[in-house]
Amino acid sequence: MTTRELLLSCWQLDPIALAVVAATCAALVATRGRRPALRALPLGLAIVVLVVALLSPVGRLADGYLFSAHMLQHLLLVLVVPPLALLGLQPIEGDAPKRARTSTVLKLLALPLVTWALGVGAMWLWHAPTLCNAASSSPLVHRLQELSLLAMGAAFWWPVMAPRVSARLSPLGGIAYLFTACTACTLLGILITFSPVQVCSVFAHPVDSLGVMPLLRDGWGLTPERDQQVGGLLMWVPACLVYGAGIMAQLARLLHEPPRTLAPEEAS
Amino acid sequence: MSAVAPIEHATEHAGHDEARGAFSWVATVDHKRIGILYLVTALVFFVIGGCEALLMRLQLARPGSTLVGPDTFNQLFTMHGTTMIFLVAMPTLVGFGNYVIPLMIGARDMAFPRLNAMSYWLFPFGGFLLHFSILAGGAPSGGWFGYAPLTETPFSSSPGTDYWILALLVLGVGSVATAINFIATILTLRAPGMTLGRVPLFVWMTFVTSILVILALPVLNASIVMLLVDRQLDAHFFLASGGGNTLLWQHFFWTFGHPEVYILALPAFGMISEVIPVFSRKPIFGHEFVAASTVAIAILSFGVWAHHMFATGLGRATDMFFVAGSMLIAVPTGVKIFNWVATMWGGSIRFTTSMLFATAFLIEFVIGGLSGITFAAAPIDWQMTDTYYVVAHFHYVAIGGTVFGVLAGLYYWFPKMSGRFLSERLGKPTFWLMVLGFNMTFFVQHFLGILGMPRRVFTYPDLPYWASLNMISTVGAVMMGVASLMLVVNILISARSGKVAGDNPWDAWTLEWATTSPPPHDNFSQVPPIHGRRPLWDLAHPAAAGAKAPAAPKERTFDKGAVAVWSFIASEAGFFLILIIAYVFYNFRSGVAGPSAASVLDVPKTAGFTVCLFVSSMTLWIAEKRLDKKDVTGATIWLALTLVLGGIFIVGQGSEYLGLYHRGVGVATNLFATTFFTLTGFHGLHVTVGLFALAIALGLMRARDFTPRSARLLRSIGLYWHFVDVVWLVVFTIVYLRPHA
Repeated sequence: MTTRELLLSCWQLDPIALAVVAATCAALVATRGRRPALRALPLGLAIVVLVVALLSPVGRLADGYLFSAHMLQHLLLVLVVPPLALLGLQPIEGDAPKRARTSTVLKLLALPLVTWALGVGAMWLWHAPTLCNAASSSPLVHRLQELSLLAMGAAFWWPVMAPRVSARLSPLGGIAYLFTACTACTLLGILITFSPVQVCSVFAHPVDSLGVMPLLRDGWGLTPERDQQVGGLLMWVPACLVYGAGIMAQLARLLHEPPRTLAPEEAS
Repeated sequence: MSAVAPIEHATEHAGHDEARGAFSWVATVDHKRIGILYLVTALVFFVIGGCEALLMRLQLARPGSTLVGPDTFNQLFTMHGTTMIFLVAMPTLVGFGNYVIPLMIGARDMAFPRLNAMSYWLFPFGGFLLHFSILAGGAPSGGWFGYAPLTETPFSSSPGTDYWILALLVLGVGSVATAINFIATILTLRAPGMTLGRVPLFVWMTFVTSILVILALPVLNASIVMLLVDRQLDAHFFLASGGGNTLLWQHFFWTFGHPEVYILALPAFGMISEVIPVFSRKPIFGHEFVAASTVAIAILSFGVWAHHMFATGLGRATDMFFVAGSMLIAVPTGVKIFNWVATMWGGSIRFTTSMLFATAFLIEFVIGGLSGITFAAAPIDWQMTDTYYVVAHFHYVAIGGTVFGVLAGLYYWFPKMSGRFLSERLGKPTFWLMVLGFNMTFFVQHFLGILGMPRRVFTYPDLPYWASLNMISTVGAVMMGVASLMLVVNILISARSGKVAGDNPWDAWTLEWATTSPPPHDNFSQVPPIHGRRPLWDLAHPAAAGAKAPAAPKERTFDKGAVAVWSFIASEAGFFLILIIAYVFYNFRSGVAGPSAASVLDVPKTAGFTVCLFVSSMTLWIAEKRLDKKDVTGATIWLALTLVLGGIFIVGQGSEYLGLYHRGVGVATNLFATTFFTLTGFHGLHVTVGLFALAIALGLMRARDFTPRSARLLRSIGLYWHFVDVVWLVVFTIVYLRPHA
């Protein structure tokens, strides 16, 4: 199998994933013109990334073939899809209406420590060797993993990107929140990169029903060791850039100076 | 226009008249005097480090020279590097920060004036320790990055390395204390209306730098502590003969070392960002972008250390990611360069000496940045690393960047500090001689590097072009030496008899120019109202600014004690993280001979002491609650109980050590013992320090009536105590529980 054939053939039509995508598209169409309005561009991007993560060859290879593909999927589900989806919700100004009963979920989402733990937990928990192996060998656990990653990712980004602007963390708080999460995630990335043992032993000896292993091992040069290194590095460097982008957004809020009209200054 | 904002009075030394005499300088806690002390001391070390550089250049002027021997040459470049980085660049930047930051944000002093004085006095003490090594058997000779195992006892047996470690530890503690002080000052002492979005860029960049310092310096401290344990107690952290890893030091060192580059560069960027707008008569172009790109640089700086290690063979995958990451740093740095250029664009530029240095900075720093980008490509790095190309590159960054930035700042702020201008007539020739000498010295070194001349060799054979290029380099260095001498003379003369400057000689618009030159002891009689980023400009143009000035956005206020303790905790967390990583690195693998955690540690017994420590956190929490309810007696009892429980933990740890000692397990036994004793030992040390702090709090509570201040003190110590407990829970899980999981 060549790279080209792999990229063309390994698309899966997973019913649950398709349902999620379809439901999001339906919501996008159904809520047009209603409040809170949805923004099509970020939401559309979120769907595209979701499709790439779950249905494209990335998702197929994450299923026990390549640790690095698994990591790419993992990061897309936690760090890319949820913030894009949250960007897709129109911000709501003003305080929450008093009479509205807040659900338990919303109350939990208002606790940054809880959401921080969920976001960092999404990184660490699913890379405990037992859980990682289970997810890569059982389709059911894999589905559970994907859904939980999306949910935990959404929870993590909520305090900095919640639709209700007044519910968001202060800029300095947001920077601390993202920076500490970045540190925790980087640490795991370093650990995986330099670990001499396989984090997920399943990926060392894949059951090759697709017949792609010769291509991956010899064509792409991804030995199990290098595969894990790339996985660790993905979590270390690009993941950190996503948090960094979040920090930049917080800085924009912090440094924003209300505009005022200034006469062009003459040399005094 | 709103009413003039009243000055907030700090608690310390309110109302003192300015003291006179030499002793008043020793005993001072005034941020302005401490700033000047930093600058003068750094100037002394600059002369020493410069002479070391000149000696090296004279030795290298001709091939086969025998002016100094190889061993002396090794000592010279080690001392030169260590001196210039830790005793010149960092203290100079801290000195300027000390002097101008409280003025720029409209404060009376730093948040912790006494801590500030302590930080300063650690600096000459560290310098003394480093130079004392010369009397104690030879200066350190392992290079400024002290690569282990070269710096281990078998290869560097002279005590020079030990003094180098001690000096760096002392300086590191001082730097962290200063950084905490800056963070607390900038977060809590800003005048009303001075939001974080409005602070001058020098203040902002020092703030970001301080965060880098509290996160990066502990990594250095932890690694040199490990090296010291290796050297003094025969441990094996970095010694292959005991199973230690020879690359680990490089990872640790550059985790500190790369952010350190930005610790040296960012405050100089800040100075440039003050100087260029004032002398271009324009506000800085894209304030937000200059400020935010600083943070981007700071974040990226922690993720790219491995580009210093391409030649060690990290593997193709790792190299690729670090090549990409390192090249990314060029983006925020480039953003800054373009913003500075855009600020000058169309401005009515006044080329004072300060502005000349700022302009030279732009050009030289870009050269250093570009050669840096070439290094980010791993194959070029393999070819060029450890040649004179590296020497050229980092001197363009360190001199073309930091030193020229600092000199621009010196000519800019000297009138504020002394009340007199530095002589422009002497300044301009100094500038030209400095720039010419600098480029002669270092530009040719690019070619020497490409021709293959290795760095850190005391002499070289007479290969084609080597002799002439080296001679050019040496002549340039002598010119820089003369220029430095002219600078020192200029400072000495101008401080006594320079032209009197007045309050705001440059028509600048930040707050330090709103007070007299030099400022009175309390800085301001009245802080001007602040409606934007340029308060003095607003003051001079009330029609343009006052009417349309929007209200300052509400910002959270912080308690300075809490900010300081949290910063300290972040710093300590970094220290323990490195010790824990070393433990994990050496113990999470099978097949290690000798005692291991599973074979020698008594888990149930230690679990008992762990419970004691854990409960002590709760009793301390109860004591805080009691104090909040003004129940001093109850608080005293609970605090005493905390002390007892903490004491039980320490006694328990002592008995555990004694038991291990009787079974023949010492720090030198094997890597488990090395990492175990270092990690738990340093934790025990922190518990002991916490116990002392709690005992002092207890004594204070008994000695005087309850005050809100003692409640705040107890809360601050309490935070630290809880942190130490949390660290122990992590250590207990990793060291004691994991082998049985």
